[in-house]
Amino acid sequence: MDYYFFIDLIQSLVDGLLFGTTYALIGIGFTLIFGVMRKLNLAYGAAALAGTYVGLAAAFVTPLPPILVFFVSALGSGIIGYIVYLGCFRYTPSSHPMAALLASVGMLLFIDELVIHLSHGMPYPYPSVLRNAEITLGEIWIRGDMLFVFGICVLAMVILYWLLYRTSLGLATRAVSQQPRAAQLCGIPTGQVNALTFVISGVLGGTAGAMTAAAVGVLSPIIAMSLTTKGLIVVVIGGLGSIPGAIIGGLMVGAAENVFQLLRGVTERDIYVMLLLFIFLTLRPGGLFGNTEGRD
Amino acid sequence: MKLKNFAAASIVTMMAAMPALAETTIKIAGFGASSGVVGIFGQNSSAAMQAAVEKINSEGGVTLANGSKAMLETEYYDDRCNAEEGISVLRRIATTNAAIAVGPTCSNVAEPLFGILQAKVDDAGDTGLQFPIFTDVAIKGGLAGISEWVFRNTPSEATMYDDLFAWLRATYPDTKTIFGGVEEDFAHSRFTWYSVMKAAAEKHGFEVVGEGQWLLNDTNFSNQARAMRRAEPDIIAISAHPFTTCGMLREMDRQKISPKVLVGLTSSSSLETLTGCANEAEGLIIPTSFAPVNDAAKYAADAVAAKGGALDLHSAAAWENFMILRDVINAAGIEGTAESLQSDRRKIRDALGALDTVEGLLGTNKRLPDGEAVKPYVFVGAKDGGWAVVHNPGS
Repeated sequence: MDYYFFIDLIQSLVDGLLFGTTYALIGIGFTLIFGVMRKLNLAYGAAALAGTYVGLAAAFVTPLPPILVFFVSALGSGIIGYIVYLGCFRYTPSSHPMAALLASVGMLLFIDELVIHLSHGMPYPYPSVLRNAEITLGEIWIRGDMLFVFGICVLAMVILYWLLYRTSLGLATRAVSQQPRAAQLCGIPTGQVNALTFVISGVLGGTAGAMTAAAVGVLSPIIAMSLTTKGLIVVVIGGLGSIPGAIIGGLMVGAAENVFQLLRGVTERDIYVMLLLFIFLTLRPGGLFGNTEGRD
Repeated sequence: MKLKNFAAASIVTMMAAMPALAETTIKIAGFGASSGVVGIFGQNSSAAMQAAVEKINSEGGVTLANGSKAMLETEYYDDRCNAEEGISVLRRIATTNAAIAVGPTCSNVAEPLFGILQAKVDDAGDTGLQFPIFTDVAIKGGLAGISEWVFRNTPSEATMYDDLFAWLRATYPDTKTIFGGVEEDFAHSRFTWYSVMKAAAEKHGFEVVGEGQWLLNDTNFSNQARAMRRAEPDIIAISAHPFTTCGMLREMDRQKISPKVLVGLTSSSSLETLTGCANEAEGLIIPTSFAPVNDAAKYAADAVAAKGGALDLHSAAAWENFMILRDVINAAGIEGTAESLQSDRRKIRDALGALDTVEGLLGTNKRLPDGEAVKPYVFVGAKDGGWAVVHNPGS
């Protein structure tokens, strides 16, 4: 094996894994909502993008340090997540699950168009931190900003785990996820839990959107569809409803994308990622960690 | 009695208003992408068309065959840079009273769309649509040859890049190698690198030492930048639209890649690139058929800005098209009635086809027999957050 090829392979793997954390965050958002409501929110990627624009808009109004821009992006996405919940899920009759799914498709297109209309489709610079920092391990470079993105994504996952497994809100969320009727009978306000799930997953989506934009250094409406597609691939591979699955799935997709790009070129890259998706759908439809049992 | 008076007054009022109601208007439709991710192109074109119509009408409009005056009107139709929608939009425009259409934005729309038009005028065996189109933006080379109903006022990228690389050879004699970065899934970007830039660079003695490809939606450019860094080219050419151009330029900056010369795609000589990454784009050289270098160009830029748009090489063509069409309509002797619509369209087509030269914003545009144009151009470079002319081949 050629020395430079070996170096490129390792570098691609490292870059892919670091970037894969943003996919993991998007995947977690999809999976959280599905876990609690057993419904797919296809507007999730667009809401994440819109939230990222909220952070950028705030920075236009008043100069903000990057960390605050990220925070406002996450917060904005959380609020938009709640609006999506109200618009597409809260009042949609549960006897018509397709209605919520299609409403979320409509919301995806609506948010996407709104963002494009307001931004005129223009790319805007998005702040990043540690942009010029790097760690060099021999021939391998690890980008400082990507490490920061990785760190933020890991931190978001840790906070989510703490929220889900160490707080009463998490207990209620898990209860609704596992046995919604029993949870309701125990006095858990399922409506509030559902709404909070949308807000939390929105915050995660906003963080992912902010980290994606920070990694590129530019924000454009183009990334909405990519966030949605990658998020869905991640949850299929990881297993719908499984948070560890979304994390592993995100890292896998990020790494596979980069390695296939190196091996087969950019035009074939997505063919192999889609092939991976196809293999999982046919041979392991539940994904790596999927579990469809234990729910009434 | 009161009713009678009211009826009489109404009739008098209506008769008085008749001339205003009967004032003839000639409609020129605009179409292209005014929404979606390349929507800014259509929005700028639309603003340029409105500004041009306002100017023409304020100067008295156009003259019809009977010597009367008519005002111009325009309406912009959105095709979202989608071929099916573009075809549907054109069919819709053809059912209106539009005498001609100016558009589309995207080459991937233009190519199939021109295919639904009658290929050869007066070919009775060809039932294709008989409707004239005067393209402002879709820039991929040679598309006007698809139908004799198509005319384009887009610059010849082949000529511009040929001249650019000749100028680079003379201005930077120590540059020998070039690396091409291309947005692989966008018709214009792909065509321009593989068929235009690369050929021109090789013709002028530059050695292509590598190519990096990415897609329009990509957000990670590290692999491609690494290949660039390793190739150590003197020149890097980026054939991509603003979003990925900025993504790539930022990645190059991170990986400390600083070529002696940076060349960009014509479509990136716009406000968007500077909005997205002015610092990283500093020094980027692009050939363009528009820059506000004279009074006429400055006037047009201000008029379009007043309509909320920005004048760049694409929207400047929309402005020019309306000015050319004003002169064409004046000369063609159209009647401007509902009954004469089809013959008016034909007269406009024939008059456009008969043009040898027209006046554009940067000087005289040469019209070619195949419907294409040869336009004056300049080379601009990104400098301090703006575009500055670095070389004017016509001067």
